[in-house]
Amino acid sequence: MSFVLLAPFGLFALAALALPLAIHLIRKPDPASLEFAALRWISPRQRPQRRWWFERPWLLLLRLVLLGAIALLLARPAWIDEAPAARARAFVAPGADRAAVHAAMDGRDVELHWLAAGFPSFEAAPPALVPLASLLREADAQAPPDVHLTVMVPRDLAGLDGERVALSHAVEWIVVAGTMRPAPAPTASPLRFAVRHGADTAALPYLRAAVAAWNGQGDAPVQLDEGNLGEPLPADTRWLAWLAPEVPQAVATWIAAGGHAVLVQQGESSGEPLWRDARGVVVARSGARGRGRVVALRGALAPADLPQVLDATFPQRLRDALEGDAPAPSLAAAVDVAPIAQAGAAAGGDLGARRRHPLDARLGLLVALLFLFERVLAGHRPAARG
Amino acid sequence: MNALPLVSTEVGARLRDLHLVARRAAGGDGLGQHASRSRGAGLEFAQYRAYEPGDEPRRIDWKLFARSDRYFVREAERDSPLCAWLLLDATASMRQVDQARPRYTKLDAAKLIAACVIELALRQGDRFGVAALGGKPALHLPTASGARARDRCMAALAALEPSGRWPGDADMAPLWNGLRGDALVLVLSDFFDDAAVDVAERLAGAGREVLTIQLLGADERDFPFRGGHRFHDPETGAERRVDAAAVRGDFLARFGAARAALARRLAARGIRHVEHVLDEPVDAPLRRLFGTPRA
Repeated sequence: MSFVLLAPFGLFALAALALPLAIHLIRKPDPASLEFAALRWISPRQRPQRRWWFERPWLLLLRLVLLGAIALLLARPAWIDEAPAARARAFVAPGADRAAVHAAMDGRDVELHWLAAGFPSFEAAPPALVPLASLLREADAQAPPDVHLTVMVPRDLAGLDGERVALSHAVEWIVVAGTMRPAPAPTASPLRFAVRHGADTAALPYLRAAVAAWNGQGDAPVQLDEGNLGEPLPADTRWLAWLAPEVPQAVATWIAAGGHAVLVQQGESSGEPLWRDARGVVVARSGARGRGRVVALRGALAPADLPQVLDATFPQRLRDALEGDAPAPSLAAAVDVAPIAQAGAAAGGDLGARRRHPLDARLGLLVALLFLFERVLAGHRPAARG
Repeated sequence: MNALPLVSTEVGARLRDLHLVARRAAGGDGLGQHASRSRGAGLEFAQYRAYEPGDEPRRIDWKLFARSDRYFVREAERDSPLCAWLLLDATASMRQVDQARPRYTKLDAAKLIAACVIELALRQGDRFGVAALGGKPALHLPTASGARARDRCMAALAALEPSGRWPGDADMAPLWNGLRGDALVLVLSDFFDDAAVDVAERLAGAGREVLTIQLLGADERDFPFRGGHRFHDPETGAERRVDAAAVRGDFLARFGAARAALARRLAARGIRHVEHVLDEPVDAPLRRLFGTPRA
């Protein structure tokens, strides 16, 4: 148990102690002069009697105590309970190196849990990737008030969300070896880009050039699959260029089911402007359609209608338009995403606030009692000044 | 206005067994105490009386026998051997009163004692005179005897008020002149002023029999004050603010030492010295001076 003042500036109210002192300070009335012929035998070294004195010292004392109590009340005293916290719980994010975790926890009396659904024991098998931020909040909410959370995380974290994690418990954020970065996928089968064209094959060189550019950049390889309009789409087709004004129902259905397609001569279409001609007229738009995506061109995929096909940026922009939104970044350096104290919790975290026992009520009662006594004593004037 | 310092009947009754005795006269010539009034051979004519057998023939006034053909004896008033002089200190310090009795000053006590002595002297037929040092109005009555002289003294004493300081030697010259050599001088003073002691010593040195009564207040003896007090000296006007409790012990020690020193100093000159505290009966110092010592 220790004593703290939550608002120490309240002690400035102690300056009010000067008031009763000033009120009670009186100058003793001069005693009546007395004839005393034997004055010469009174020792001359005797100090003259002090002439300033406090009237009714007990009342003054009571008033000083009352003001002191009020000042203390303004300073908001509290007891801090310093009883040892309950057994600490430590959470280990998946991906943390087991040996590193044991090294970090060496000698500490903690319960180790995986930061995974249900918080399984650390002895269990490491869980798969988890929504880390959500689990942290859950652990924070479930932990008893006095628990000191320890979270061991690998260097790279996944499963975070857009909001910075803010916890109500004090958190010890230990970064250990390991990573949550998913293992690089094995070289995937080439992404199939089907091109279906009619009689007019003027657009084909540009698409071939774009695919060649893509494949030369080291991204996921793209396999170009050219064919006439009548040829069926292979099942693993991801992207499609339908180089004909009329879009059959089958293609539309395929797009709505999640296909990404380039359509030509679409006239007015919805979506974000992708390319504009020299006059600023939007000549291509890209947008979602159903679960798929469509890059709709006003004209043909040819320099006459779409001058940008000649640009060096055309392959990249086309690919970006076909791929749609890139997935949000999900990896972060663990040191940068340490949980912050929840807003409203004082320094030291909510931990202190829960173990703090304010004395306001008791002190207020004391002040009221003192005030009552003071009134009684002040109203009772002694018959003779003591 | 002070009340007439008349001797109360009670005190007067207690005075009855007291006699003014000069140490020198007491038992000096074997004739006992000095007679109060005696007739016989002397310078001061008193009366004629008829011859009685046994009278000395030389005391018959022969010229009167020649005129009247009868024997008459001429009687003269013999001088009293005692002449009591009362010397009252009436300086401002004699205005001192006790807190318990704020209207009874040291001078009042001195007047009462003087009145007692005058009564004694009158009863014994002695001569008496009163003089005051300081005080208003000035008081100096030459020695005389008789009831009228007593009344004059009493009236003068009643009118005496304490004031001023001890007079200088020049003012005291008439006093010295009026003092007969065989006078019994009784000095009533608080003896706070060294000049008063000087006077007593000079009188004793000049061959007078000197008796001193030091008048003390009960407050001076006990110092019963509490708390803060502002004291002032009535003669010098000096003022002191003191905490009574703190100075009491020191004051009593110093004052007691001063009194003892005074008693020693006077005793060294052969002066009979007694103290009179204001809360005592006024005949107590006289009893100590003149009373028969009781075993």
